[in-house]
Amino acid sequence: MIRVTHLTKRFAGCVAVDDVSFRIEPGEVVGFLGVNGAGKTTTLRILSCYLPATSGTAEVAGFDVFRDSLEVRRRIGYLPENAPLYPEMRVDEYLRFRARLKGVSPAACRRRVQEVKDRCGLKDAGRRIIGQLSRGYRQRVGLADCLVHDPELLILDEPTLGLDPAQVIQVRELIRALARRHTILLSTHILPEVEAVCRRVLIINRGRIVASDSPGQLRENLQSGARAVTEIAGPADEVRRGLEALPDVRSVRPDEEDGPWRRYLIEGAHGTDVRPAVFELAARNGWPLRELRQERNTLEEIFVSLTGTAPGEKRP
Amino acid sequence: MKNFLTLWKKELAAYFLSPMAYVVMIFFLLVFGFSFWLLVHALVEGPAGASVMQELFGSLFFWIVLLVAAPVLTMRLFTEEKTTGTIETLMTAPVTEVGVVMAKYLGALSFYVILWIPTAAYGIILHAFSPLTAPVDLGPMMGGYLGALLVGAFYLSVGVLCSAVAVHQIMAAVACFAAIGVFFFTGFFAFLARSEAARDAFAYVSSVSHMLDFARGVVDTRPVALYVSLTALMLFAAVRAVEARRWK
Repeated sequence: MIRVTHLTKRFAGCVAVDDVSFRIEPGEVVGFLGVNGAGKTTTLRILSCYLPATSGTAEVAGFDVFRDSLEVRRRIGYLPENAPLYPEMRVDEYLRFRARLKGVSPAACRRRVQEVKDRCGLKDAGRRIIGQLSRGYRQRVGLADCLVHDPELLILDEPTLGLDPAQVIQVRELIRALARRHTILLSTHILPEVEAVCRRVLIINRGRIVASDSPGQLRENLQSGARAVTEIAGPADEVRRGLEALPDVRSVRPDEEDGPWRRYLIEGAHGTDVRPAVFELAARNGWPLRELRQERNTLEEIFVSLTGTAPGEKRP
Repeated sequence: MKNFLTLWKKELAAYFLSPMAYVVMIFFLLVFGFSFWLLVHALVEGPAGASVMQELFGSLFFWIVLLVAAPVLTMRLFTEEKTTGTIETLMTAPVTEVGVVMAKYLGALSFYVILWIPTAAYGIILHAFSPLTAPVDLGPMMGGYLGALLVGAFYLSVGVLCSAVAVHQIMAAVACFAAIGVFFFTGFFAFLARSEAARDAFAYVSSVSHMLDFARGVVDTRPVALYVSLTALMLFAAVRAVEARRWK
C-alpha cells in the first residue's frame, strides 16, 4: 500500500526526514511513533502529497506521490494535526462539500455522508455549525471527512491530540473498527495509543526510522533480562543473601520499605523465570510473601532506549 | 471540472456565511444610492445627455467603493485557509492549484457581480419616472457596467494574488489596497507629466479616463485588452504562489 524508499526532506537549515525507507502492506494498522519534531508530520505530509520530498520516492497504492499526485489523493483520507475545518459551515454542508470535492457522485453523496456520520457518531450533529462544536466532535468531523470517499488508505496525524480521556477511548475504538476495512497509518507520541490500536510500530527519531516491529516483538528484542519484583517480610540481610544465592539471579536490589515488608528488585538471566525459586525460598524460610511478579519492559522504556529521549519531550 | 464547480459554489456561499459580505453590500448600496441621488439632482438641473452615466461610473464614489471593496472581498480567500490549516485538507483533496485559484477568484467575481445587480434598478426608475423620453442611453449604461466589470475583475485578481502570498488577512488587504492604489494613481500622472510621450504613456493606464470613456459608451479595445491581460497575469502569479509550498 505504501512504499517509501530513501525519502529525504530538507527545510532551510534542517533535515526533517533523513533517508527513510519503509513499506506498509494493505490491511495493516501502523503506528508512527516519535517525539515532537522527529519528522512524523513531515513524512505524513509527503505521503499525502502536501509537500514534495527533497529526494527519494514514495508510492501509495502503486502511484508516485509527486508524479501521480491526483491519483494518490483520490485514494487516501488524510486527517492533518488538529483536524482543520471551516468553522462557518454546518457539519452536513461540510461533509457534502468534501465528498463532492473528492469525486463522490451527487447521487451517492447523501448516502455516503449519512454513512460516515453514523460511523463517527455524528448522527444528530448534521445541522450544527462546526465552529460551535467541541474538540471531540470536531475531531469526529475530521475523521468523517477522511472516510467520506471510502479511501483505501487513512493517514491520521495525531488523531487523539487534545481530546479528553473518554473521547480518546472513543476515537481509538473507531480507529480499531476502521482497521477492518482500511489500511491505516497513524502518528502519535502517546505510547499506550500505539499498543491499543496498532499491529506494527515505526519509531522515528531525528528523521530516521530506528525500529519497525510489532509492539510485542519490540519488547521481546529489548528485554535485557527477566526482572522480577517481590515483597517479602523477613530479615532484610538474610532475604537478600538468600535471593542472591538462587540460580539464574544476577543481582538483587532492595527497594522501598512498608512496615515489616520490603520490596526487592531481582534481575534474572535472559530468558529465565526466577519466580518459582523465589517462592520456594520464602516458603522454606517461613517468610511471608505478598507480591511476586515479573516485570516487562514498557514501550516507554523501549522508546527511551531507542531514541535517548522520553516520549513527549521536545528534541533539543 | 466537477470539483471546480463544487469549490466555486462553496467560495461564493462562504461570502454569505460571514457578516462581512453584508457589510460590503450595505456600504456599496449606500454609496451608490448617494451617487444616484446626485445623478437625479443633475438631471433636474438640466439636460445632461450622455454624461449622466459618468455620474455613476466615473465619480469619486465609484473609485472609493472599488478601491475598498476589492481588498476586503479577497483578503481572506487564502490567508484564512492558511491560518486555520484548512489549506492542508484542501490541497490534499484531488484538486489542482489552477482549479483552486480559479474557483476562489470566480467566487469573488461572482459576488462582485451580485453587488452590482441592484443598481440596475436605477435605470428602471429613471425610465419610469423621468419626463424625458430617454433619460439614459443604453450604450453608456452597458459601457459603464462593462468598465466596472473589467476594472473590478482586475482589482479582485490583485487581491487573490495578495491573499495567496500573504500570511495574514490584514497583510493581504493592505498589500492589495496599496497595489491597486498605486495603479489607480499612476493614471493621474497623465495630467502631471511634462513631456508629450510620458503623458500618452500614462494615459494608456489611466483607469479614471478609461471609465469615463466606458461611461460615455465608448468601448475601446485597448483598455479591454489591458485589464484582461493584467487579470490573467495576476491569476497566473497567484497559481504560482499557491504552488510555491512545493518548492520549499
